[in-house]
Amino acid sequence: MSEMWINMGPQHPMTHGLWNLRVRIDGELILDADPEMGYLHRGIEKISEDRHYNEVITLMDRTCYVAGLAWEHLYVLASEKALHITPPERAEYIRMTCDELQRIGSHIMWYAAFVQDIGLMSPFLYGMRDRDLILDLFQSFTGARLTYEYMRVGGVRNDLPPTFTDQARKILDWLTDRFHEYDQLCMGSAIFRKRCDNLGVLKANDCIAHGITGPMLRSAGVKRDLRKDRPYSRYGSVDFDVAVADGADVTARYLVRMEEMRQSVRILRQTVDWLEKHPGPVMADHLPRWLGAPYAPVGREGYLLKRNYAKGVGFSSVEEPHGEAQAYVVNEGGEHPYRVKFRSPVFANLSAVRQYLVGYRVADIPPILGSVDVCVGEVDR
Amino acid sequence: MQPDDLVKALAPKLGPNLLAVEPFDGMAGRVRFKREGALDLFRAVRDDLTFTHLSMVGGIDWVDHREVFYVAWSDSARQYVLLSTDVPATDAHVETASSVWPSANWHERETWELVDITFDHHPDLRHLLTPDGYVFHPLLRSFKLHEPEELEVKSRHV
Repeated sequence: MSEMWINMGPQHPMTHGLWNLRVRIDGELILDADPEMGYLHRGIEKISEDRHYNEVITLMDRTCYVAGLAWEHLYVLASEKALHITPPERAEYIRMTCDELQRIGSHIMWYAAFVQDIGLMSPFLYGMRDRDLILDLFQSFTGARLTYEYMRVGGVRNDLPPTFTDQARKILDWLTDRFHEYDQLCMGSAIFRKRCDNLGVLKANDCIAHGITGPMLRSAGVKRDLRKDRPYSRYGSVDFDVAVADGADVTARYLVRMEEMRQSVRILRQTVDWLEKHPGPVMADHLPRWLGAPYAPVGREGYLLKRNYAKGVGFSSVEEPHGEAQAYVVNEGGEHPYRVKFRSPVFANLSAVRQYLVGYRVADIPPILGSVDVCVGEVDR
Repeated sequence: MQPDDLVKALAPKLGPNLLAVEPFDGMAGRVRFKREGALDLFRAVRDDLTFTHLSMVGGIDWVDHREVFYVAWSDSARQYVLLSTDVPATDAHVETASSVWPSANWHERETWELVDITFDHHPDLRHLLTPDGYVFHPLLRSFKLHEPEELEVKSRHV
């Protein structure tokens, strides 16, 4: 049969965003794949050069729209290093709490979308129902459900409300029971297993060579998690296990993400306990005026005062729900970063698409790419 | 791993192409090298120092030159290392790292189109985030925001 290139995207239910997967096929067999990105490129790195340090946080929510707080965390960590600021301990615990809630929220969103790709409709509804509880919780202390703009260079914008701990514990109890149901719906379904087992296999060596991180790497049996290997914030003082599987296929990625959600609940129980017992400030003292006190909007006068701060370069890396995200912030004095560079985990995971797609069938593309958890906002930036 | 360990392992392989190894917060160190020694350095860093995982490649447009930087991770040392080299703005090119770390492929395509640094012997140097035929390099300091440019963009497939 003759070979041909077909476009899957930029508008396609499989893409989960705006990008174009071009595949060369012979009948049903995939011979080559070439993703075409850039449909969502907004130049976030360029815009950041023209913005005040705290204004970049607004862009971070738009970088990955299902894990906004994880990206805010990444950016503020790098900026604090570049500007030589140390946040208070309570702020670090609040950030970790946000990170882990965001991880559960992002994984549930992934679960809902992925399982729907395979053809199971009801998990989508259950997933969205449970994710809403986490969004409610975010709304109670950030005021927003998707674009939070909550973290600040030097701490977080405001403290948690007194009702937070009770509400959080209730949600964690609810979710723990639901994870069991998710598993029954998927791993207990013969159709699910038939569509996912031994699909999109990428072994550990190839994963490392192609820069793949996160659940995809851990599903190949590599026990690598920045929260353990290079603890940031206060991850060194909480107790959890790294989720790994050894199938390196779509089912293994599913299992890793499910286990990660359980481990996130475990971390959250510890951070919520800590937050209940340790009140305190959530912003660093002696910040420059333009970095803003809590609640205070950044006044125009902040821009007009040309003050020089010690130069510096900040690097941070964070275990984001999709993998390992990195930020590199260059501070050359003044209110704007000189250069901001972000490393998106999905960018690297997608760049290897040829490695885990070639040799499979066209109908396998939705489950395989679903298991990658594509978030185009952070690939294109 | 400390900056001294990096010097010990890299100095014999690179000779004069190794300019300096500086301490860097949160990393094993920052290795400054001459672009002539790029491939030797990449191989030594990956094979001898076990930094098997290249995380990112980026470029910075400084006032009088451009800088290319690489971040790599070692699973056994559980550390990052930062490699950086300066190239003149008028002749901005460096050897590709994608023959050593395949993951450099897309990062270098991005750096090429946004910061205007060419990677020699790159297997697939095409536009990634900007459309084909896009002649600007947005991450250069000379590319100003707030001044919309009129441009004609041709599609790759039509």
